[in-house]
Amino acid sequence: MIRIFPSSRFTSLLSAAKPLRSFACSSSPTREPPQCASFAEKKSSPASNSLSFTPKTPLFLRPPLHATPLSEVWKWHDWAKDLASSVEDSSTNSEDSLDSVVLLRELKWLIEDSIVDDDPVIHRREIGDDCEKSVKLRASLEELYDLWRQRIEKRRPFQYVVGCEHWRDLVVCVEEGVLIPRPETELIVEMVEELVTRDEWYKKGIWADLGTGSGAIAIGVAKVLGSRGKVIATDLSPVAIAVAGNNVQRYGLQGMVEVREGSWFEPLKDVEGKLVGLVSNPPYIPSGDIPGLQAEVGRHEPKLALDGGIDGTDSLLHLCHGASRMLKRGGFFVFETNGEKQSKMIVDYMTNDLKDTFSDLRIVSDFAGIDRFVSGFRL
Amino acid sequence: MSLLIIKRSRSRSFLLWQTHRTKTRTILSSYNSPSDTDCSDSVSSTSGLSSVFTRSFKTTSFGSQSGKISYLNQKFGNLAYSKSSFVSTARPLSSEAVTVAATCDALTVERIIANQWPILDENESDWKSHAAAIAQSIQVIKRRLQWKKLMVKLKVLSAELNKPDLWDDPNHAGKISREHGSLTGKMKGVMTFERELLEHIDMLKLAKEENDSELESETLKALIDMRRVSKEKELEALLSAENDPCSCYIEVQAGAGGTESNDWAEMVMEMYKTWAQRRKFSVTVVDEMPGEIAGIKRATIKVNGEYAYGYAKAEVGVHRLVRISPFDSGKRRHTSFAAVAVIPILGDGSTRVQINDSDLRIERFRSGGAGGQHANTTDSAVRIIHIPTGITATCQNERSQHMNKASAMAVLQSRLDQLEMARQTAMNAQHTQSLTEISWGNQIRTYVLHPYRMVKDLRTNYEVSDPDSVLEGDLDGFILSFLSSSLDKSDEEH
Repeated sequence: MIRIFPSSRFTSLLSAAKPLRSFACSSSPTREPPQCASFAEKKSSPASNSLSFTPKTPLFLRPPLHATPLSEVWKWHDWAKDLASSVEDSSTNSEDSLDSVVLLRELKWLIEDSIVDDDPVIHRREIGDDCEKSVKLRASLEELYDLWRQRIEKRRPFQYVVGCEHWRDLVVCVEEGVLIPRPETELIVEMVEELVTRDEWYKKGIWADLGTGSGAIAIGVAKVLGSRGKVIATDLSPVAIAVAGNNVQRYGLQGMVEVREGSWFEPLKDVEGKLVGLVSNPPYIPSGDIPGLQAEVGRHEPKLALDGGIDGTDSLLHLCHGASRMLKRGGFFVFETNGEKQSKMIVDYMTNDLKDTFSDLRIVSDFAGIDRFVSGFRL
Repeated sequence: MSLLIIKRSRSRSFLLWQTHRTKTRTILSSYNSPSDTDCSDSVSSTSGLSSVFTRSFKTTSFGSQSGKISYLNQKFGNLAYSKSSFVSTARPLSSEAVTVAATCDALTVERIIANQWPILDENESDWKSHAAAIAQSIQVIKRRLQWKKLMVKLKVLSAELNKPDLWDDPNHAGKISREHGSLTGKMKGVMTFERELLEHIDMLKLAKEENDSELESETLKALIDMRRVSKEKELEALLSAENDPCSCYIEVQAGAGGTESNDWAEMVMEMYKTWAQRRKFSVTVVDEMPGEIAGIKRATIKVNGEYAYGYAKAEVGVHRLVRISPFDSGKRRHTSFAAVAVIPILGDGSTRVQINDSDLRIERFRSGGAGGQHANTTDSAVRIIHIPTGITATCQNERSQHMNKASAMAVLQSRLDQLEMARQTAMNAQHTQSLTEISWGNQIRTYVLHPYRMVKDLRTNYEVSDPDSVLEGDLDGFILSFLSSSLDKSDEEH
């Protein structure tokens, strides 16, 4: 049953046959999420040309081939620092502006990822003045200028710039086409961890992460399940499938995490009623909010992973139905939501419309105090 | 040293041993006798030499050709064992009765010092000068270890260890026996060093009597080595408190005064970063709140390495800067303050404060906005509040929230540990300076860049006329002078 993720070339073959499925989804249950449509839309744009899709290598995993004089690196560093410090004066929209403190921290991390040295020389500038020395960079200085410009001028998310996001204790590769995992979402794994430490039963069964994106949640869950864990991660996007497959492989979890391509529960027909756990961070932003999103999100991250329909709950409601069908008795689920309003609505829906199906429904807030998650158990 | 004696002449060391055989027997028997606490005199007269024999014989067995030798060796192994256990446990601990190691002609460390032999350069081959230098070091080491207090403490701990119900509380028992072990180790270290000195003197005199110039020069060399080692030991003795070997956090907080103060706080933090790097400690920034225009409002770094806390604890207090402020267009002289706190990171062996999850409140440091999918920020700062004490810890320098939380938890744990230590210290009525209470009145050092240039420690009056070198992390002079003066002071008080 375990399918080790094939080479991306194979994926691209699969994805070439995809458009058929987007049409097929109209025949799916009433509450089929709108992602099929947005996916079809996405496919037409040249940016997500999946025909020759290979996951990108993040900066920190590239070979250090670019020997560069330290003095040149400093020059770049000073330029980047100035650019970062000047953002606040130039921004017009105070609601959505860059914060130079955050940018300076990002610059430090960019250097960390691109210089081969445990203790970057660039921080010891005052001590030694050996400008003649050269350092090995993982990207050419030219590219670093370009990357930093993209970060500030194009508002390209830092995680896409360096190609990875540190999430929990993981370093997850990300790129355009997959949602960058959010800090809030780490709590999903924490909830699972708490559950499985309390009750070993959940360690032995099959878990599913729906709309896995980079694969972060699936990998996080697999790690807390321990050696007997089994997680199936699904996603509709072939880019996500390739990136998630790559991340699973990097953590050597091919035997525990199986990545399957398809919409929500479609690829899970063989495990219907057999899951002990179900987790998901589905698109939940109301369509009307999409145009006003922070530049990094709205301009760069995939709509497929963000747009949850008119009130944002299309996918969530679909997941609720699926959960009643897919979970074993006693099976656990946790979904991320847009906040208090959605969480309440989901809980109401599950208590009234899906009567006598779930127990212990709970709303859990994130560290910012926002009611972020709904969890419960299948009766 | 003993090895070379054997190499040179086995017969002589036999001879030596036989001469004193009766005496060593005495030790054995007196140790076995019930009134062993009264036998300190007989031990004191021979302990120095007997250990020479022991060691001589141990080395003989390396070439053990004869059964007799290994038998003797075994016997001496026992002797060595019983002697050391005698030293560590059955020793009478009142200060008058403390056994004093001495040479054959009753020369002791104290008498060497009393003789006031001139201490010459190391290169001078005068054994008396070496002996005097070493004896002086031993005296310094004893003072720094707070010798008398140490003895009293050991006595208390031994009494505790002998209680029959000790192991009813295994945690407590573990702590007591660990502490006893560590203090005994320190004490034995000094006693052995002292004994070695006297043995070398004996050996040297013997060599002179027998006109054995080779033995004489070798012994002299051994004395020179001891003299060098003794200087290191003096330094080591400065860092003999319980938590000194720990890693630590260093926190710097800017005083009132805006940008100028914030800049000063950053200068102080940089000073510690470079100091730590010079000492080969690793430094990581845990928490940093930048000032609006320049510098920092506060920052916490983690300094990892052996004895990081032992050294850094000397820096606790308020640091004052006087200079023409580069932020003042009127070029006026400004005085700024920065407070420094140092928190030890206790090892696994120490008893740490238990933290209940239910006592914690965890917050995103910069909350606001819809969060979740709406926001993409690399800022995943976390603040943890320990509700019962109100103590908080923040971390925003890690790249994931999970790691920020873990770092903040570690800081919180250390802060609570320190609070608990302070509480216990107060209970024990020891007047050690509490590191948690840095009041702005507690000024320890002034850095003047204008009108003259000087850095002066207000506690020790140690001063340096080159502030740049100090700000670049050359702090050891200040640290060592403070550590030694504070230990000397506390010894005088007792």
